[in-house]
Amino acid sequence: MSEKVSRRRYVKYAAAGVVVVAAGAAGGYVAWQAGKKPKAKNEVVIGVLAPMATYQGSVQRDAAALAIEEVNAKGGILGLPVRMVVGDDKLDADTGVAELRRLVTVEHADVLTGGYSSGVMTAEMETMAELKTVFLADASSTEHPAKVAGNYEKYKYWFRITQNNGATFAFDLIDMLDMLRTNGVQVNKVYIIRDEHVWVEAVEEFLNPMLKEKNVEVVKNVKIPRGYTEYEPLIIEAHNLGAQVILPILAISGTGDVLAKHWATLRLPVLLAGHDLAALDLGFWERTGGACNYYIFIADGGVVQTAPPTSTCASFIENYTKKYGHPPEAHQGYGAYDAVYLYKMAVEEAAKAGERDPFDSDTVVKYLEKIANLENPVELTRRIAFYPPGHEKKWDHDLAWGDEYVRNWVAEWIDGKQCLIWPKERANAEMKLPPWFK
Amino acid sequence: MEMLELLMRILVYGATLSGIYSLIAAGFTLIFGVSRIMNFSHGAFFVLGAYLGIAIINGVGLNPYLSTAISILMVGLLAAIVYKGIMSPVRTQEVMVIIVTLAFALILEQLILLIFGEHGISYPSMVKGVISIGGVPIPSMRLFVLAIALTALILLWILIGKTRLGREITAASQDVEAATLLGLDVDKLFLTTVFISSILAALGGALYAQVYAANPFLVLKSLIFAFAIVILGGLGSVKGSVISSFIVGYILTAVIVLYGARWSELTALLIIIAILILKPTGLFGVKEL
Repeated sequence: MSEKVSRRRYVKYAAAGVVVVAAGAAGGYVAWQAGKKPKAKNEVVIGVLAPMATYQGSVQRDAAALAIEEVNAKGGILGLPVRMVVGDDKLDADTGVAELRRLVTVEHADVLTGGYSSGVMTAEMETMAELKTVFLADASSTEHPAKVAGNYEKYKYWFRITQNNGATFAFDLIDMLDMLRTNGVQVNKVYIIRDEHVWVEAVEEFLNPMLKEKNVEVVKNVKIPRGYTEYEPLIIEAHNLGAQVILPILAISGTGDVLAKHWATLRLPVLLAGHDLAALDLGFWERTGGACNYYIFIADGGVVQTAPPTSTCASFIENYTKKYGHPPEAHQGYGAYDAVYLYKMAVEEAAKAGERDPFDSDTVVKYLEKIANLENPVELTRRIAFYPPGHEKKWDHDLAWGDEYVRNWVAEWIDGKQCLIWPKERANAEMKLPPWFK
Repeated sequence: MEMLELLMRILVYGATLSGIYSLIAAGFTLIFGVSRIMNFSHGAFFVLGAYLGIAIINGVGLNPYLSTAISILMVGLLAAIVYKGIMSPVRTQEVMVIIVTLAFALILEQLILLIFGEHGISYPSMVKGVISIGGVPIPSMRLFVLAIALTALILLWILIGKTRLGREITAASQDVEAATLLGLDVDKLFLTTVFISSILAALGGALYAQVYAANPFLVLKSLIFAFAIVILGGLGSVKGSVISSFIVGYILTAVIVLYGARWSELTALLIIIAILILKPTGLFGVKEL
């Protein structure tokens, strides 16, 4: 008898336990769903996620802040005020991923802009895809649009807005060599100094065959690790091997100022012309003590500050300088500024077309593809168009490259200023050769 | 002729790098040799020498020579404060010394990052022009830097070997108790050693920024190289540190010139490890009984 009673009691307690657990789980699920469900929309939140200890990161925050101030002054987006939230990826993939998640799930960012490091962006794209949040991004790797091409439904939220991908550097580097030839410089040998990093592979994949076509011999291709500084032996070697041009393909090394300094000190008859992220910084002249004079470089992002490509760009530079006391420190500023306005345009187009939720990410993607396309680029600080899904080179949602879109213009440091020297129709200065180059 | 040019390039360019490394390494080993302090903030003093110098040039408008002199003295004073405040209380606990000095170095790295950013900074050239030695163009600045580094090392040798202060420092390094019994203020001698060694590091940093550029990440990188060089030379041996600085400097330069830049640091570190396997106490180190 006691056995039956205890068994009955056991079953009773077990059943009660199951009911309690089920009720708790259900309650938790309801609470979770309630948390997920957006509150009634009373603001638009734009997230800026970048390495804030660097110019390239902080300029995105400051440029986006300026754009948001302007947008709010004109009534916001669909009458809603816009608020900015900021994340710092500290140039670290794990931190970037965590910050992205925080911006979207805690701060409720409707859209993101930012980025800088390709490696960090690759990691962040996974979280972006999981959270289905549009990311109008920086970074140069061709791996990013390839992800969109490989799995459109998952990665379609990614668009590159700040600069052309690294492979396009090859086209503009060749254009730069053509420019030199046009100006009477006999270029048939180049000495390449490049980052020891995967991003350069995409550039060289296009560059090497084109150099061959142009009968330009690469006398040596030197890979340098991050932080490398002993350039003088390399410059001497380039001269001894008969190169007319030392062609840097640098971004990660971080020591472009030392390269310029050593080149200007030695004064050997060899030009310094290529891609160097350091040369893009407005502070480069001061940091090199003027040693970068005559340094020819291609300008990522499509803007050389002394030759703004659009009237919006000229106004942005003026207003940024008024607000912060100096012009935009890096080209990423143009991308972040354009991202705010482009997002606004996409949302407003969606609302005009009667979309049920114009802020929905899938809807925003549809309208970004619609309004910023190759046939009708959007004129902001640059002329923005994205390659469509199914692009032949797998550059889906990448920033379109070309004279009518964005290019890495050929520029030169001349007497303290960054000048656009090629193509001729856009140039605001003539190329100047160093006096020691004969 | 080509081989001669290559050798000349290695000889002259290697000497500059070696000279700078010898300043930082000699300072690091001096502190350890005298006071048994493994000062992991040494790399921070190296970088601070450059940054303070630039800040004085740009902020106050002084010439580079005076700015360098003031900056290295300021670094020396800071090092003395750090010794008194952080190192001295835990001097007898080696692990604690490493922890607190490393923490200080990391804090300084972050401060430099916040104030100056991550980009490198360069000294304005104190000496301009290029001369040709054996057909190889050599910036006069490199020879100047080498001359300064060698002068500093000679002065250090004179100080340690020929002055009363040097003899007192040597006495304290050999036997702290006996030195105390003889009436020497050992703590003051250690403080003086820290001051001297940090001045050497700061001078090395200013000279480094003259030829190359200083950046915040050199705080740890220079420490790692200094530590490796000191271990190779024998912990506590100033002579060993100077010689191994030149060995490492020449290995780096030779590999850059002959095989390529990407292999230079790896090769140098592998050779250091190989030598230490054969001689664990370093080239001039003494086996502890």
